[in-house]
Amino acid sequence: MPTDIGSLLIQLFSGLSRSMMLFLVASGLSLIFGVMNILNFAHASLWLLGGYLTFSLYQAFCSAFGQHGLLLLPAIVVATLFMFAVGWLIERVLIRRMYARELPEQLLLTFALILIISDLIKLIWGVQNRRIFLPIEPVEALGAYINPYLFVVIGCGFGVAAGLWFFLHRTRYGKIVRAAVHSREMVGALGIRIPTIYAGVFALGVAIAAFSAGVFLPIVPIGLGLDMDLIVQCFAVVVIGGFGSILGTFVASLIVGIVYSFSVLIWPGGALAIIFLILVAVLILRPWGLFGTEMRF
Amino acid sequence: MSGDERKDWGRSIEIMSRGVSRRDFIITSIAAGVLTMVPRFTGAQAGEPYRIGVLLPTTGSGANYSERPIKILPLVAAQINARGGFLGKHPIELYFRDTQTKPDVGAREARSLILNDKVKTIIGTWSSAVAMAVQEIIHEHKVLHLTATSNSSKIVHENFTPYTFMFGPDTRMQSGATVVAVAKLIKEKGWKKYATIGLDYEWGRDAQKVFVENLKAASPGTELMKELWAKLGETDFTSYITAVMSLKPDFLFGAIAGKDNETFLQQAKAAGLFKSVSYPGVFLPVTELMQQRQTLPRGIIGLNRCPFFAHMDNPIMQNYVKIYQEKFGKDDYPDDFACMYADSLNALDQAVTKASTVETEAIRKALTGATVDTCRGKLPLRDCNNQLDAPSYVGEVVDTPDYPFPIFNPKTMIMVQGHEVWVPTCDEVRRLQKKRT
Repeated sequence: MPTDIGSLLIQLFSGLSRSMMLFLVASGLSLIFGVMNILNFAHASLWLLGGYLTFSLYQAFCSAFGQHGLLLLPAIVVATLFMFAVGWLIERVLIRRMYARELPEQLLLTFALILIISDLIKLIWGVQNRRIFLPIEPVEALGAYINPYLFVVIGCGFGVAAGLWFFLHRTRYGKIVRAAVHSREMVGALGIRIPTIYAGVFALGVAIAAFSAGVFLPIVPIGLGLDMDLIVQCFAVVVIGGFGSILGTFVASLIVGIVYSFSVLIWPGGALAIIFLILVAVLILRPWGLFGTEMRF
Repeated sequence: MSGDERKDWGRSIEIMSRGVSRRDFIITSIAAGVLTMVPRFTGAQAGEPYRIGVLLPTTGSGANYSERPIKILPLVAAQINARGGFLGKHPIELYFRDTQTKPDVGAREARSLILNDKVKTIIGTWSSAVAMAVQEIIHEHKVLHLTATSNSSKIVHENFTPYTFMFGPDTRMQSGATVVAVAKLIKEKGWKKYATIGLDYEWGRDAQKVFVENLKAASPGTELMKELWAKLGETDFTSYITAVMSLKPDFLFGAIAGKDNETFLQQAKAAGLFKSVSYPGVFLPVTELMQQRQTLPRGIIGLNRCPFFAHMDNPIMQNYVKIYQEKFGKDDYPDDFACMYADSLNALDQAVTKASTVETEAIRKALTGATVDTCRGKLPLRDCNNQLDAPSYVGEVVDTPDYPFPIFNPKTMIMVQGHEVWVPTCDEVRRLQKKRT
């Protein structure tokens, strides 16, 4: 194993980038479950749809204004807003009918959503992978090369984490959301419209997913099936962190990303196994996750 | 063909060009059926249709490599059907199924195709693990199986069945071709140590193992520093790329394919991997050359299985490109997989003609050890394992004025013939093959 500080730091940055990729997708999943008690199995499919939408918007903007990497920013913003609306609509039309149902029925509905979204993507975009080409050139640092876009991903991850913290702890709406996590009946008794809260939270979760898909597009080509790979990792993160805990999801993402990165360096054959060993250990010793609460469990 | 039928067919092809869904599969099958019915009504000696199942994934890592085979197979079938089908009286009907790159789904669909749709031949699939699951089913039901994309050497060795025919180079031949090129580079550049990265599943493990074994024989002094394994469907190779760079090998061998290959190449380029580590022998089928035209680093040494640009002097290849571009436009070309699967269908046609019957056993015997006319020239199928003497192509990625995407440098491209790198003797092949009942 290399011991020079440059190699280790670069491995750390690659782990951090992986952590933030996981956090950006898993945070919405955790938020939705935390507030609404809905296991949204289709979360990564909505992430994928957001990615395709960002791709098309970017193409359209480039056709209208000429090829420029910065056009990715408005494409991400518009796609995020659109997916917020899509999330709202899905909650109003489908998800709200599931609140009183058992978990298997929720899973069936969200699994059906996966199939619908997958076929929708095939019909609109086909089966070819899509990606956005940005002329990213590696930079030399610490005696090695590194992809500078990793810092964009890391920055976005920390930014969304800070934004979510601010929203949940410093805004009235956020405080209502947190109160709803603990007692939706009490919040309802205070005259606050719980259905609106739920729709907003679901839409926010979907919007964060769409935002992250746009951020990943310059380094991760999106394609059918990617959602299924991602959702498994996201569930692992959310289980380790504790369902419903954004802080837990953040810490679990850091653990998973960094441990995975160094495992690749030390024991590449077992990198994935180590993550799932952590998951098993958490499930045995603290089934409600590192930052979850026994009450919710 | 009537105008309406022509319109139906055109619509199905248009849909396939956008992507293939379950609904499209049904439409495709119906359209193929409609098309193939025409000679039945017009021909003087109409016979039973010949049903062929096509098992390819339209989701998962392999979807990228399945799109063009799915597009070209109905076109080749239509050409055969234009003269009445097999033997002029058995029109081909194609039944498409999505394997989802899952062995259980592949096996289930294969069984359904055989029992419900009564297919006599199955073409496919992408994943070797799925292909081997399908082999169990086709062997049980004695149905022909033509494969090209899935190319683990186990398909024609450990898991051999006399009903499976391989129309592309297997992993052993492909890795052998890479070794020929890499051994040359080792001498030229004085490389001493290397690392490998592969997808952690049947094909990746097999391709890596064969490469390492062959390189050890060809260049015993070259040290393998580390083997890295990424899961199939990996979205973030960053940790692997930085790990490789910190190991500082002279070169890296990759056994990555499909969507994952595209992801890896894109992330590796942005991370500067190719600035510090050579990456010879990366699998770069025409699919990747077209899709990654902007990002693919020029000058890297790639490997492919059936590039159309290497055989544009062959009338069969000219025909594939012509019929494909007539339907899908001048900017699109049939990729390696489309050409190999088109070859498999044409080879079946040749075998049926030779056998003068559509009976499976007679066709199998006719195909075993036959020399077939392909887009890569006249090539024999090895009689001990049904492996086509298919070449592999190793070359430097360069831009040319002839195509809107990079190709392999025609001046320096190495074409390694299958028989140069396959298991040398049939006795050795038979020792590897398991005994089946």
